[in-house]
Amino acid sequence: MSGRGASLLVAGLASAFGVVLLQVTSVLATVISGDDVSDIGAVRSALSIVAVLFITIAVYVSSIVTTNTVATIIAGRTRTIALMRLIGSSARDQRRAVAKEGLLVGAVGAVLGAVVGTVLLSIGLWIAVAAGTLPDLRYSLIEPLLALPVLVVVLSTWCAAWVGSRRVLSVSPMQAVGAAQERSLEETVRRPARNIVAVLLIVAGVLFLAGGVVVGQISEYGVLLGLVGGLLSFSGLVLGSHLIMPPVLGLVGRLLGSNAPSRLAAANAQQHPERSSRATIGLVIGVTLITMFAVAGATFEKMMALAMEDPSVRRAISEMVGISLAVISVLVGFSALIAAVGMVNNLALSVLQRSREIGLLRALGFTGGQVRRMILTESLQMTVAAVALGLALGVVYGWAAAQSLFGTVANIGFVTPAVPWLLVVLSVTGTAVLAVAATIVPARRAVSVAPVTALAAG
Amino acid sequence: MRPLAPDSYRGNMENSPSELGLAARVTSLRKIYGSATTSVTALDDVSIGIRRGQFTAIMGPSGSGKSTLMHIMAGLDTASAGQAWLGDTEISALDDAALTVLRRRRIGFIFQAFNLVPTLDVRGNILLPFALDGRKPSTTENNWIEQLIDSLGLADRLTHRPHELSGGQQQRVAIARALATRPELVFADEPTGNLDSRSGREVLALLKAASTGYGQSIAMVTHDPIAASFADRILFLADGRLVEDRERSSAEDISRIMLGMEQRA
Repeated sequence: MSGRGASLLVAGLASAFGVVLLQVTSVLATVISGDDVSDIGAVRSALSIVAVLFITIAVYVSSIVTTNTVATIIAGRTRTIALMRLIGSSARDQRRAVAKEGLLVGAVGAVLGAVVGTVLLSIGLWIAVAAGTLPDLRYSLIEPLLALPVLVVVLSTWCAAWVGSRRVLSVSPMQAVGAAQERSLEETVRRPARNIVAVLLIVAGVLFLAGGVVVGQISEYGVLLGLVGGLLSFSGLVLGSHLIMPPVLGLVGRLLGSNAPSRLAAANAQQHPERSSRATIGLVIGVTLITMFAVAGATFEKMMALAMEDPSVRRAISEMVGISLAVISVLVGFSALIAAVGMVNNLALSVLQRSREIGLLRALGFTGGQVRRMILTESLQMTVAAVALGLALGVVYGWAAAQSLFGTVANIGFVTPAVPWLLVVLSVTGTAVLAVAATIVPARRAVSVAPVTALAAG
Repeated sequence: MRPLAPDSYRGNMENSPSELGLAARVTSLRKIYGSATTSVTALDDVSIGIRRGQFTAIMGPSGSGKSTLMHIMAGLDTASAGQAWLGDTEISALDDAALTVLRRRRIGFIFQAFNLVPTLDVRGNILLPFALDGRKPSTTENNWIEQLIDSLGLADRLTHRPHELSGGQQQRVAIARALATRPELVFADEPTGNLDSRSGREVLALLKAASTGYGQSIAMVTHDPIAASFADRILFLADGRLVEDRERSSAEDISRIMLGMEQRA
């Protein structure tokens, strides 16, 4: 099943990322401290904090992706689950089975990822040493600490499978007998408490963020307010994504045209608000983070350029910002990659589960080309919405970060946010490539659905 | 090609199959599934015509080939041998793209279940054939659609999604969609299979009214004698062959014929 494959890949990527990042910090610490072994501890702990931050982001994103994947698989397996319930299996047993599968997939994926990551890094290290880029020191790649990211990935995949399998509980045995009509998959469960918490978090976050920007003008402690504001508001956004993503998707959908394939695609993406928001929120997080760091760096550079007179200082700052941004972008980009895997998989699963509907459309006179266009539009809608929202959020966060952190240093009041054009171009190209690539397999599958499928009684 | 007013079904001046008063026909149709060693003959030299303006039922026990026959006549499946015609078009000679356009413009469909696109509301589903064709209905077509919506009692349901409708209501939406383009032929595949008997009768009465009232040609596949008793003509299939061709009959007579077919088998 493609869903399991995707979860395996996601767990593997997250685990490989965590292991490699820890190994890289160890290598760097060894290089920096050189022969002075006593120094290695301090350098390591400083680097490790950074590594842990980015590993946390990757694990967070991969958990969201896995939760969504599992929920999507469950939606497609409703009939089988209902049949199991019918012949006497309890909902709890069914759910436990799903979680167990998640644990297994997480464990296999995490270990495989760790092994592959370590092998790749060893090869890279060997080449770097052979080429003379790195000194030939005694690097220790395998250490007990590496078990940590592997364990975290296993546990998070397990939890994600458990959370994602919540829907199992609402499957009725009646759904197996076919007496029940085809029910919309729409998750009509309303969660007023969750909505209120999300809104409160966003409001409080925005207030803190604004406070941070203002206080940042007079005190460097403004950044602490800003940090709290950023964390609060972003948590609110993720928690309330089912409130935010559908209107954004709807807006993008309307921009994509009004012919039948586009309209159906837009309706599909909005039909399941929970599902499409979970599918896209990972990508939103990734793009937001990349943009935030890039805009913060560029805005900082701009502030310094206005505040500093000495061109050599400016150049030094510019160089430093450039290097840090490149490193950070690669680190965050990895999370975006994991999110992209999730989105592609979501699209593939949703096509797989709609074969009956696609068969109906084919029977009624939808051409293969129109089906392909519908899926491409659906994919475009999700990617464009996620990237656009991520860019917008990232610009706000990045600007707020630069203002609250460097406001007093630059002491030139407010500047407009600087957006590095390279980033925008990369995001747009990345979006286009992702949106198209994501549709290749699902579109081929959809076009091969025979119209007779819709007629098969059941 | 496109039918104009309902009355134009009768007194048609065209030649060949339509001259015979047939909306569709098949000649020496054969359909074999599977490979040489495990082949199953679903249709064995079947030749029939569906008369224009009539409500025709195609009956037979499961495995008689009635669904296969319908799939081929509707351009959803291809025959192993023989020809299928819709009006004057030999559809067995068309490629997938041409068949797709033919289904969109000249055929209406009512299936047993999963008739409607779940993401579209009632109006969206009824207008789907036009949307697929990338056009808006003309004024005449709009009047016709409004009339259909009224007579099918869907006026206050237009913004509902399929899952908010009962089975009978869903089938009525499917009927409205199938009739909306005034196709040359409407295929109904066990349209009452998923309904309680009251909603089932309602749906059958509506199909019959479309045929007598508007001269709509309808071919309905069913194994239910009561459903078939609503039709003007009943074709009986067994083991891939046409075994009986009856004018309107009572449900009792139809049951007797079916029972006889089962006993002979």
